[in-house]
Amino acid sequence: MQEGTVPETSIKLVIPSEVKLVDLVHTASEKMAELAGFDGDEALNVGLAVRETVINAIVHGNHQDPGLTVDVTLTAGEDALEARVRDQGPGFDPEGTADPTEHDNLLRTSGRGLLLIRAFVDDVVFERAEDRGMQVTLTKRRNQGGDPTESDS
Amino acid sequence: MKVKEREIGHVVVVDLSGKITIGEGDVVLRERVHNLLDAGHKAILLNLEKVSYMDSAGIGELVACYKRAKEKEGTVKLLNPSGKVYDLLQLTKLEEVFETFRDEKEALVSF
Repeated sequence: MQEGTVPETSIKLVIPSEVKLVDLVHTASEKMAELAGFDGDEALNVGLAVRETVINAIVHGNHQDPGLTVDVTLTAGEDALEARVRDQGPGFDPEGTADPTEHDNLLRTSGRGLLLIRAFVDDVVFERAEDRGMQVTLTKRRNQGGDPTESDS
Repeated sequence: MKVKEREIGHVVVVDLSGKITIGEGDVVLRERVHNLLDAGHKAILLNLEKVSYMDSAGIGELVACYKRAKEKEGTVKLLNPSGKVYDLLQLTKLEEVFETFRDEKEALVSF
């Protein structure tokens, strides 16, 4: 274990489906990523990935119904950060978005969230709940690969 | 997000600082650019030097501003995207869409 890290520290946030609360989850995710031993830029990437997942849960999962909540569980382990995001909506198709990097899609004004999520964490698992809602689990491990957006310069 | 505007010749330089994210910076950016276009400005240079990051909504708003400018026969170009913002432009391949400059003078004469 790297000095300063704490094994298996977990927090759970339950928020109503309001985009103004996304910053709160983003900040908590960055802090938990730092606790798991990620440096500032990697922690920001993890925060961005969780942020996009929560936006999807609020907008596409719960359709911004403030009566529905989004559960976010963040676990800082010895060598990884795991984020589980669960909505209560009727469900959405995470694979239904066209590739935003295709030439014909570059001028679309939405549909880039999943691209960012996949770029910034190692694993993304979508699980549709039997009753209602989607659970998305993100895992970012330490010392595996670099920042896919980082330039050499 | 904070915004300041400078008119240099026929170009309006919009100095942005903070983050361009859902429900906050994206709304501010949209309003500012739309107001400029509605006022008849056709050359807009967005200075991103002090923008720390964007989320997908912020990126989408940049694209919306670009499209809105085109509709109004104007142009939106980018100046000095910071490390993380530049990374995001590369990841989303929007560097192919936006004309991006490191030098303000060079950007100004390009319009």
